[in-house]
Amino acid sequence: METVSIIFSFIYQYADNIGFLLLAAVGLIIIFGMMGVINMAHGELMMIGAYITAFAYHAGVPAPIAIIFAGIGSGLAGIVLERLVIRFFYRQLLSSLVVTWGISLVLTEGFLLIFGPSILNVPTPFGSFGVGELTFGIYRLVLFGVALLLIGLIWALFSYTRFGARARATMENPEMAEAFGINTSRMYALTFGLGSALGGIAGGMFALTATISPFFGVNYTLFAFITVVVGGGANVITGVTTSAAALAGAQTIVNNAWSVYVGYVSMMLAAFLILLILPRGISEYLERRKIRVAKKNG
Amino acid sequence: MGSNEQRSVLDKYLGRLNGPQTIGRGVPFWTCFLAVVVVLALCPEFLSRYEIINFSNFLISGFLALSLCLLWGYCGVLSLGQAAFFGVGGYTYGIVALNLLNAHGNTDVAFVAGIVVPTLLAGILGLIMFYARLAGVYIAILMLVVSLMFELFLLQTADPDYTIGAAYIGGFNGLRPASPDDPLLPSLIFGAGESVLEFDGRSVEFYYLTLGLLGAVYLGLRWLVNSSYGYLLVGVREDSHRTETFGYDIRLVQLSVFCIAAAIAGLAGVLYTAWGTFIHPNQFGLKANILPVIWVAVGGRKDLTAALIGALVLEWVGIRLAAVGEISLLIMGAILVVAMLVTPEGVVTTLARVVEQGRAFARARWGRGGTGPRSERQDS
Amino acid sequence: MTDNEPIIDTSGLVKQYGGIAALQGVDFSVDRGELHCIIGPNGAGKSTFFKLLMGIERPTAGAIHYKGRDVTSLGSFERARLGFSVKFQNIRVYPDLTVYHNLFIPLRRHHRMKKIPGQVAELLGELRLSGTENETVSNLSHGQIQWLAIGMSIAAEPEVLLLDEPTAGMSDDETRETAEIIRRLSATGMTILVIEHDMAFIRDLNTRTTVLHYGRLFAQGTFSEIEANEEVHQIYLGTL
Repeated sequence: METVSIIFSFIYQYADNIGFLLLAAVGLIIIFGMMGVINMAHGELMMIGAYITAFAYHAGVPAPIAIIFAGIGSGLAGIVLERLVIRFFYRQLLSSLVVTWGISLVLTEGFLLIFGPSILNVPTPFGSFGVGELTFGIYRLVLFGVALLLIGLIWALFSYTRFGARARATMENPEMAEAFGINTSRMYALTFGLGSALGGIAGGMFALTATISPFFGVNYTLFAFITVVVGGGANVITGVTTSAAALAGAQTIVNNAWSVYVGYVSMMLAAFLILLILPRGISEYLERRKIRVAKKNG
Repeated sequence: MGSNEQRSVLDKYLGRLNGPQTIGRGVPFWTCFLAVVVVLALCPEFLSRYEIINFSNFLISGFLALSLCLLWGYCGVLSLGQAAFFGVGGYTYGIVALNLLNAHGNTDVAFVAGIVVPTLLAGILGLIMFYARLAGVYIAILMLVVSLMFELFLLQTADPDYTIGAAYIGGFNGLRPASPDDPLLPSLIFGAGESVLEFDGRSVEFYYLTLGLLGAVYLGLRWLVNSSYGYLLVGVREDSHRTETFGYDIRLVQLSVFCIAAAIAGLAGVLYTAWGTFIHPNQFGLKANILPVIWVAVGGRKDLTAALIGALVLEWVGIRLAAVGEISLLIMGAILVVAMLVTPEGVVTTLARVVEQGRAFARARWGRGGTGPRSERQDS
Repeated sequence: MTDNEPIIDTSGLVKQYGGIAALQGVDFSVDRGELHCIIGPNGAGKSTFFKLLMGIERPTAGAIHYKGRDVTSLGSFERARLGFSVKFQNIRVYPDLTVYHNLFIPLRRHHRMKKIPGQVAELLGELRLSGTENETVSNLSHGQIQWLAIGMSIAAEPEVLLLDEPTAGMSDDETRETAEIIRRLSATGMTILVIEHDMAFIRDLNTRTTVLHYGRLFAQGTFSEIEANEEVHQIYLGTL
């Protein structure tokens, strides 16, 4: 095999793994990273998105529109969850962890009861291309691109829009925001819904490559959490991007050297080690360095 | 004779078993306790053999509930992966028993190893997590990841290469002997010299053994949580920083309780493997991890009795539901969510409080049961 | 009691949160057995200063010496073992436990089981809380909870006691009694640092006082000197 195709294969896998982590984490960036709400049912909201995409697609809706349906459906489901259950647990981290885990169980088992364990498939679009003797799926790169695009949109939304400013004010200091006339409970519901909608879109994107079953969500929840946690809260966007890059790096290298299982384990280990050294995540460290550099330069 | 004197008599004989950190301190409670023990002891008289085998399994769930209750309810350290220690205990017991049964003729070493190894694992994990001062939420999720990693690893050990002496790890086939010449995975056989005491997992004796051990662990933990250590646990739960400023090394407190909880979960795993002479990677899986959390949260995490009742009742309900169809887990999840919304402190705990208030009201209204000041200082 | 040897000595203490500097170089020392007040407008860095002294947080730069020993890197439980104790600004008692057991936890570290009931009774007497042993904290008045929190802090018989706003939310009578309690503790030779907003209370204590402003040591002296200081008046008027 030529060196070029090996190198390209490596880069391709790396991008694929980063895309996977980023896309899985994209909803949680808002829900956990910004709101600080633990939602163990996030993967199940993605699962709902995947089902909606699959059903819509098989009903003749073009894939991109099916994915938008998924976003709307998961977003609404998220708002319902927030109003019915999650809002009562905002100040109790461990309890919210447990109650949302219960929700994830209800959703998984509920879907299992209704749709059965059968696996749905949606064909992967765009075909593939070759480099040297190896062929690569184009859609994987699309996933990577969409993940970056969505993260860019989140950043723009929270930095430049009125909604973003109000949401940030609410997360920062709810009492103060309330005093400024912001309806904070509606803000919470909407922000949670937005995070869920992004999860639904991610689920819909994954639906085109992964097999869809009621157990679709579990892995996404854990990977998304790990990515966001390792990223840290000081600056969620840069945090998540760097953490995805770091974790996917560990995974890709080990994957190639040993097996997929060892790849997963090494990614978990990398996450664990980063947290031991930087308990508040990578972004905290980056922020601190930025300050130090800024100081040095005057 | 007023409840005051009754209580001091109880305190004299029950001491720390009867302390304020546990629900149920009066004569009515201990009467009920004895009644339940008697009924459970008499079960083999009027239940079928099949049901007794099921009951043994319920009792094994009780250990897991107590383990998680101590850790989460009393010390405030939530682990979503408590089944990891259960599974490690079960696999360790099985592997050691398979290897030593022919040589020793008993499973003494396996029994001890099944408790010690998970405790050591908890020691290592706890040392890293608590001394790095990881946030509670991360610890909870990390433990789930650890358990799922075990499952993932064990599932891919179906290759015949994965043998440890006479034990074949077996992947999704479950743990089994490496070759037809090796002994089968045994039930508990305790031996000292020539004398041997065997507890077949399907026997009434095994049921009594499990009942006895569960009773011992329950009373032992009651004693523990009403000791100084128990108050320290609650102190760490309620405000760990404040407790630290009194000179307590809270990392050590968390680490120690993590190990105790792991030992109890390991014991449960040992009993489970011995009960069915079988263990499978799904004992590390999602379902195995979420069920203990449901029992403890629904029963009442801050009290041993409540958590234990939660486990036994919900396991019984689960079996009944399984007979109806594949809805057991769905209903369990729904029970959890509803219970946490309606009674955040747990169903049993809330009921106990209502009963207590009712009695206090009755006392104030009709002057029954004595009105003197309550007896003091059960802990001195 | 003062033998003019500083028991606590900080040099160049800096604490930054993100880009915001809460303390920017505090050199401070307090003598053994001294009763010392720390005042300053909101956001002056008083509570941060206490957190650094107690080891709840680590300074970004600078050092803390206790009896000549560098304790900067020690955690709060290690400092507690050396003789530090604190009452936080937000009171922080154990809400699910009775008054008795709130005191039991700090006492148990230093006393045998048998001695604890006597110690609790003694503390409760000192703090005017006798008879509340079996109440849960939620049944106490705000002032009583403050006293309980002070009681928990002195249960360990510390050498250095840090009190962050001990009279917050108290009535005038309760405030006077608190001053009395603090004076009595001081008379036993305990080194006490008090953060307060209540000027009447500080006047009542009438002792050496330090003013913090924008994370720096702004002024220091007897209370009358501080009270007469024009600049101190200005920073208070400027922010309050």
